[in-house]
Amino acid sequence: MASAKAYKDAGLSARLADRYYRPAQDSDPTFVGDVERISGTEAHICYQCGTCTGSCPSAPRSSYRIRNFMRRTNLGLKELSLNDPDLWLCTTCYTCSDRCPRDLIPTDVIMAMRNMAAAQGILPKNMLGTVNFIYQTGHGVPNSDGNRAARVKLGLEPEPETTSKYPEYLPAIRKILEAYGTKQLADKVLAEGQ
Amino acid sequence: MVYSGKKASEGGDAPVEPRIGVFICHCGTNIAGSLDVVAVKEYALTLPHVVVSENYAYMCSTPGQNMIHDAIEKDHLTGVVVAACTPRLHEPTFRTATANGGLNPFRFEMANIRDQGSWVHMHDWDGGTEKAKDAVRIAVAKATMLEDLYPMAVPVEHRAMVVGAGVAGIQTSMDLAKAGIETYLIEKEPTIGGRMSQLDKTFPTLDCSQCILSPKMAEAGRMPGIRLFTLAEVESVEGYIGNFDVTIRRHARGVLTPDEAAAKGIVGGGCTGCGDCSQVCPVVRPNTWEFGMAPRKAIYIQHAQVVPLIYTIDFDACVKCGLCETACGTKKAIDLNMEDELFTVKVGTVILATGYETFPIEEKSEWGYKLYDNVISSLEFERLICASGPTIGHLVRPSDGETPMSVGFVLCAGSRDNTGIGKPYCSRFCCMYSLKHAHQVIEKIPGCKAYLFYMDIRSFGKAYEEFYYRIQHEGAKFIRGRVAQIQELPNKNLLVIAEDTLLGMPVEIEVDLVVLAAAVQPTAETEVVRRLFGVSCSADKWLLEAHPKLDPCGTTTAGVYLAGVCQGPKDIPDTVAQAEGAASAASIPIHSGQVELEPYYAQCVEALCAGCGMCVGQCPYSALSMIVNDDGRTVMTVTAAKCKGCGTCGGFCPGGAIRMQHFTSPQILAQIDAFFLGGEQ
Repeated sequence: MASAKAYKDAGLSARLADRYYRPAQDSDPTFVGDVERISGTEAHICYQCGTCTGSCPSAPRSSYRIRNFMRRTNLGLKELSLNDPDLWLCTTCYTCSDRCPRDLIPTDVIMAMRNMAAAQGILPKNMLGTVNFIYQTGHGVPNSDGNRAARVKLGLEPEPETTSKYPEYLPAIRKILEAYGTKQLADKVLAEGQ
Repeated sequence: MVYSGKKASEGGDAPVEPRIGVFICHCGTNIAGSLDVVAVKEYALTLPHVVVSENYAYMCSTPGQNMIHDAIEKDHLTGVVVAACTPRLHEPTFRTATANGGLNPFRFEMANIRDQGSWVHMHDWDGGTEKAKDAVRIAVAKATMLEDLYPMAVPVEHRAMVVGAGVAGIQTSMDLAKAGIETYLIEKEPTIGGRMSQLDKTFPTLDCSQCILSPKMAEAGRMPGIRLFTLAEVESVEGYIGNFDVTIRRHARGVLTPDEAAAKGIVGGGCTGCGDCSQVCPVVRPNTWEFGMAPRKAIYIQHAQVVPLIYTIDFDACVKCGLCETACGTKKAIDLNMEDELFTVKVGTVILATGYETFPIEEKSEWGYKLYDNVISSLEFERLICASGPTIGHLVRPSDGETPMSVGFVLCAGSRDNTGIGKPYCSRFCCMYSLKHAHQVIEKIPGCKAYLFYMDIRSFGKAYEEFYYRIQHEGAKFIRGRVAQIQELPNKNLLVIAEDTLLGMPVEIEVDLVVLAAAVQPTAETEVVRRLFGVSCSADKWLLEAHPKLDPCGTTTAGVYLAGVCQGPKDIPDTVAQAEGAASAASIPIHSGQVELEPYYAQCVEALCAGCGMCVGQCPYSALSMIVNDDGRTVMTVTAAKCKGCGTCGGFCPGGAIRMQHFTSPQILAQIDAFFLGGEQ
């Protein structure tokens, strides 16, 4: 995590990089307090049993390890946590929170970190694409022709009782996204090409 | 009542003007590091009646005690105030110092400026100092009004009682009996032995649990010094240390012992344990001692090694057909109309050894206990692997009776869990018995795999860590992760799902059988028994010892002691050690023959007593009664030995006729005045 040694061969340099974790340089002492304040859960009493990851529907299908984020919280590894793309792989099903023997809410720790990351403009592109979909249609996943056909086959109206059927409510949704700066953030980040 | 000293009135020259000495303890930096002890010392000198004030690093040390001793002689003190820690710690020390200086020890008053001062105001120097001054002023106000008091000595009955006959209760009773103290051993089950008799082997030595326990059971059953009562429970308790009157309920057993038969004039009668009755009994019930995994009859013994070997009728199941009476024949041991019996015994001291039960793990629904056939508890595993158990020691899985070729052990099943469903504490012996279980399956079933899901292996005892190496050598697989969920497959196999936290990968292991190392909790009866004896419990419901380090066998109720798991989870070696400690502690008052009681009892001022009698019903200790005095008036009187000095009657008496020694109304009012008036008289 500290500076890499200067080898001419970049590959060798990467392999022999100093990988010690040094709390004095690597830890942000305010991180755990900030996460706990936003999430409202006492993340510092986590004892790393892994019940959360064992319960997680995302874990067997991805590199996302909720327990790892709890650990990073307690060590103050803010940069590592907020920049980790895995942060966005939680489905917020709350199963880990149901089962945590320390009575913590790991899901809310993730949500707190996502908010902190978003405030710094760290967001995955597809997330922002979703913001734009909501802005345009009122839906993260807009209705499609295939879906309409399926609905009709099931004896339903092609459009559900949402902005799909009542587009006159779209301006209000756009107002909300603008009022909280979500749309502007999405536009800015997408324009920067991050 | 017996007084161990002379009364003040007999001493003659009572001093007129109070002369108080004040001693401020630094307690190293415990007090002096958080408040200004010199300022408190100087402040004390400004208070009325204070003639000497000192501060010192450790008042409890010999030089500190000598300061008290010397000041009493030199300054002719009538009262001593030490501002230091808590009376619970050093009141006896300073009372002794006061007495050594020639004053009555009850002329000592303590101001707690540490536990209630410096420790709670560690970061408020000025505030802490002011509070310490208040505490000293209040203590001085009381010290000026203290009187000579004399502890009362009461005789101690030369008998003891032990409640619960598991290994703790058995060991305690045997120690007491061997020390020459007749001991009543009370057990609610039909046999003694407790949990230990249900276990197969014991860690880390792997000796057979019953083999090492049954000699003790047999010896306890026949020792002349032990009066054993099984199928019996404590009904009510009266009295105090030295003189407990305990009423025992003997549940109707329906079967006479040889002694009981002889007492009824049946020559050569009574139960011999032949079992003819059980063979003819038509009623079949689950054997609760085998956790319902084996049948028993309505007339039964729990297992082959019961003590006493006397059959018992389950009257909830018995249809009173009388077949057993016929089978018993001339022994005439069976009495289908037997009723519960109540009897009262007087004992000097009591030891509670009420043990534990497993927490209902089905409440943690993600593990599927009682939902999936092949998820069993650790105690069920003990019976299934035990040669005397329902399967004669062949471990089988409940769904199909097949031998499991892979077993998952779930540690911390309900322990270290503060969700409100499980138990927040470590149950302490599950790690070790799970290692033992892993050894047993690997040894008994060639090729069987053992997976232990753990958070930490707590192998803290002598030769325990070495046992952990041994199980690693034997090939058990340790997965560092708490089990998140268990799923049942159509073939009744189980999928155990967790995270291997050391790999950082979710794991899914298919096993034939899962054993949950269930958290333990106090038995349901513990709560009833503790209330009868007035013993406190901690937040987790285990019985509360008098001091966690320095008085682990005692309770805050004088004469009542604790042994075994009822005080907190512990393994067999620790249980037996504590049982022997409790036996020793409980024998001290008995061998002393008498105990001194604090002279804090209530007194009736007969001249003021209107004889209304309303106080009698208020007393929680039945210490008050109405008598006709020498003048022919009806007045209240206090049985001093029963009185705990709680002050309920004193505060209640409409006529102010009840005087609480050492806490008299003038003394308490002086303290209140000293606080509110800031020392003005």
